[in-house]
Amino acid sequence: MEFFLQQLVNGLTLGGVYALIALGYSMVYGILKLLNFAHGDVYMVGAFAGYAVLVAFGGPTDPRIPVVVLIFAMFLAGMAASGILGVVIERFAYRPLRNAPRIAPLISAVGVSFFLQNAALLVAGARFRSYGTAKMVDPSTGLQWGPLRISIIRIVVILSAVALMVVLHLLVKRTKLGKAMRATAYDREAAAMMGIDVDRVIVATFLIGSVLAGAAGVMVGLVFSRVFHFMGFIAGLKGFTAAVIGGIGSIPGAMMGGLLIGLAEAFSAGYISSTFQNLIVFGLLIAFLLIRPRGIFGVPEPVKV
Amino acid sequence: MPEIGTDRWVAEFESRRVRREGPWGRLVDWTSRHWLGLFVVAAVVYPFVIGGDFGIRVGVNALLLAMLAIGLNVVVGYTGLLDLGYVAYYGLGAYGYAFLASEQFGIHLPTLLVVGVVALAVFGIGLVLGQPARRLVGDYLAILTLFFLQVFVELALNLDRLDLPFVDGPVSITGGPNGIAGVDPMEIFGFRFGQVRDYYFLLLVLVVFLIVGVTNLARSRTGIGWRAIREDTLAAEHMTIPSGRLKVLAYAFGAAVAAVSGTVFAAVQLGVFPQNFTVALLIVVYAALVLGGEGSVPGALVGALIIAMVPELLRTPAGARLLFYGGLAVAALTLVKPRRRLLVVVPGIVATGLAVRSLVTALWPDLVDVEAAGMVDRWVVRFVPSADVVVSVLFIVTIAVVLGIVAVRRRGAKDALVVVGVYLLVLVWENRLVEEPSITRQLLFGALLVVLMVARPHGLLGRPRVEVV
Amino acid sequence: MATLELSGLTKRFGGLLVVDSLDLTVAEGEIVSLIGPNGAGKTTVFNLISGVFAPDEGDILLDGSSIVGLPRHEIARRGVARTFQTLRVFLNMTVAENVIAAEYASGKVGAVRSFFGTPAARAEAARMRAVAEERLRFFGERLIGYRLDQPAYSLSYANRRRLEIARAMATGAGLLLLDEPAAGMNPAETQEITRLIGELRDDAGYTILVIEHDMHVVEGISDRVVALDHGVKIAEGSFEDVAADPAVIEAYLGTGGAATK
Ligand SMILES: Nc1ncnc2c1ncn2[C@@H]1O[C@H](COP(=O)(O)OP(=O)(O)OP(=O)(O)O)[C@@H](O)[C@H]1O
Ligand SMILES: [Mg+2]
Repeated sequence: MEFFLQQLVNGLTLGGVYALIALGYSMVYGILKLLNFAHGDVYMVGAFAGYAVLVAFGGPTDPRIPVVVLIFAMFLAGMAASGILGVVIERFAYRPLRNAPRIAPLISAVGVSFFLQNAALLVAGARFRSYGTAKMVDPSTGLQWGPLRISIIRIVVILSAVALMVVLHLLVKRTKLGKAMRATAYDREAAAMMGIDVDRVIVATFLIGSVLAGAAGVMVGLVFSRVFHFMGFIAGLKGFTAAVIGGIGSIPGAMMGGLLIGLAEAFSAGYISSTFQNLIVFGLLIAFLLIRPRGIFGVPEPVKV
Repeated sequence: MPEIGTDRWVAEFESRRVRREGPWGRLVDWTSRHWLGLFVVAAVVYPFVIGGDFGIRVGVNALLLAMLAIGLNVVVGYTGLLDLGYVAYYGLGAYGYAFLASEQFGIHLPTLLVVGVVALAVFGIGLVLGQPARRLVGDYLAILTLFFLQVFVELALNLDRLDLPFVDGPVSITGGPNGIAGVDPMEIFGFRFGQVRDYYFLLLVLVVFLIVGVTNLARSRTGIGWRAIREDTLAAEHMTIPSGRLKVLAYAFGAAVAAVSGTVFAAVQLGVFPQNFTVALLIVVYAALVLGGEGSVPGALVGALIIAMVPELLRTPAGARLLFYGGLAVAALTLVKPRRRLLVVVPGIVATGLAVRSLVTALWPDLVDVEAAGMVDRWVVRFVPSADVVVSVLFIVTIAVVLGIVAVRRRGAKDALVVVGVYLLVLVWENRLVEEPSITRQLLFGALLVVLMVARPHGLLGRPRVEVV
Repeated sequence: MATLELSGLTKRFGGLLVVDSLDLTVAEGEIVSLIGPNGAGKTTVFNLISGVFAPDEGDILLDGSSIVGLPRHEIARRGVARTFQTLRVFLNMTVAENVIAAEYASGKVGAVRSFFGTPAARAEAARMRAVAEERLRFFGERLIGYRLDQPAYSLSYANRRRLEIARAMATGAGLLLLDEPAAGMNPAETQEITRLIGELRDDAGYTILVIEHDMHVVEGISDRVVALDHGVKIAEGSFEDVAADPAVIEAYLGTGGAATK
């Protein structure tokens, strides 16, 4: 039971991260029908930006500012760096290809992904960087509930993931921008004809999605402490899968899918062989795609005649 | 016949446009009609001109990539199936060859038999795994097939410690991360392939055979059916085309082509390793296809040759330098318009370099490596190794400036940015990029893909497509 | 040989009843026009016959046997060809290729022989092109000659409509479903297409079910007219009878409207 709960917490943490990444994929897909392969790398850059701030303020062992402020600054830096990067990518790599054949922006995305990975490699080198969270925050602090202990850092991560998603939900449902985003996702041309500045909506979408990915990057750094140039690929793949499982283009779907993948991964690592852990997850995904390709929340596209 | 509307004019305009004039036009026309012959002649001469083994190996890689790209062209370019699991079949072919012609299981079958069996088997696997293509469209198929590839890689990595019933001890099927080494070289009709050159010519024959076959197919009802499916699946079905069957056929055909090239790859390399068949290769194959122009066989060929050969120029520092400064010059020529403004820009770049150098040397003398004595070194700042943070920051600034050049419209500002950008590029190049050739290559590859797509989304030899009306 | 018989055909989209127990027969060699105001469900009837959607109830008999539930290409192969109201030519293929694509079912040579370019494969490709040219010649000089090898996107709207008809003919079907063949044509072209549809039946022996809004065309070609409104058949008979039917007039003009053509 204790083990089960521990895996549950693991799964929730991972799930929160995947959900945040999935949101970016899903929102962009919803509006541009583009598989933004560079999204995982935007998340990677966020993690590095957090790391840079950490180092700039003295590193984990003796930070020059209070730890709470430092972590806050790291989040801000990660989100800002990723957000700006996302907007820049949209402007230079995707916008010129709005009306090109479908495969062109895909290749362009792959190019951006390649570029970012290697730029990170060039700037930061190939070795793993660690946030060294344990040195920053005493790992034994946190919630103690019977035999189960949840460290304070995990609580922070889960809570901030939830908070970000709530903000996003309110933004999409309650604001004018959110309305414009939904309209654009539904029918870009019609939205443009209704006087919606589609370019602005797309930029906003990239900004929001990338900011969330940047936050996810810092979270992963804080909890799992492994930051490196190639981290975006696998995480991107999983976040992307989460988006698909939830129903690509659907925001609640992305959150749901992220949680499911996180939980599935934590439990299969905990209970089934770790050798075939990835294989099991991939197999499940394939089965899922075959049975319900539109995902949990997706609606099938109507046949147009 | 009444001539109504503008349709006649439109059509004649098109026909006027394709007719090229002048000696240059005639040359282009002639080349486009005889491209296959030209390719064969050049490819036959190539190993003798290039000499060394290394050059021929590059040629082998180029031909392998060409086979992959032409096979993929049938799946993606003709039929419009976004198959992101394509290189898994390349891997299956390679592992298939290794299973049937190495000490792994102690089986050593004749080469032609192995290749035939593997091609057929993978074709069969393609028929099975291609079934979802009947129902899934577009990106959903892409995602699914990407997972096929991931599963393949996982299997190749992990099927090395298998506990099987009735067998003692763990069994290794794929050799895990270490792969299978010591694969037999090929032997056809008693001719034993000893040198890379032998494989080169084998591949050349295969590529030409494939090009002719695919060109034939493209003209047949099957090929036209494929393209109709890509254009409009529903309409194609109403025109009696069995879209499901044809999609699966295209998918399996691509798989079989990839598998055959995989067998040759395994034999050339004398081994197979899981890391040969990852998403990185997938990207390269797609890049080759899209660079050349999807939907076009000569496009796939040209794209593959460029992608496989040009980066090799970056391998030696001299070649890399040549390419870099050449590219920079071309970029400056196209960016600065009218050209006479170069009279200001070029001296500007030189002056910037001298000014920055003396400034930096005066302010932070301990950052500068004064020993460096090349011609460029005397102009550009050469940082000491301990100042690599500075270079990293400058690298990021350089990217920003280069993007700025693209974004800014105002002539003066653009030229100023060109001055700064070119200077920074040279600075970063000399201080960091030259020393990291493999990273630089990837970096340039990524940037090139983006630039290329933006400049020519339909590829070098592809025709612009009309998507929706 | 082609007779079509719809009985009790019903289709709903969600809660919307789009085709409501429709009975309709088209006899061999007949030209039947399907008319009705926008949204009456005419195109949906075509979609049901050609297998885009499965009907919720009812049956569709082609030459006496049911084609409900067959795959679309099989329905086409059995003799139902169609054109589309919103044109769906294969834009990035040439005019000739568009028509050759529709000859798929008539081919015998498989992919293997095509790959090796055997004489049989070459002969078949040549034959298919000749057939395509012949089908296109139905529209005079417009779509042949140099234009055979033009991409279809370079064609005008009216020529795309013609190309769609040629394509439908090339499937070898006996029953043509033409969805607003005269839409977007000017008066002269409309007159010409009216004559050509007549020739399709008289000279080439097709059975034709046609949807058309232009009453001049309907008058000119129809043996029989069927009027739909909200998915229900409200009138059937000769053009004069249907045009004079109060229910039809009301459907088009609303209650109290004057009867005009
Ligand atoms: N795939 C679909 N899903 C939902 N509703 C549909 C679908 N296809 C058609 N409809 C609805 O069914 C009704 C009939 O449409 P249909 O296209 O058959 O009309 P029509 O008689 O051809 O009209 P028009 O003269 O404008 O072409 C319309 O209200 C339309 O909105
Ligand atoms: Mg209609």
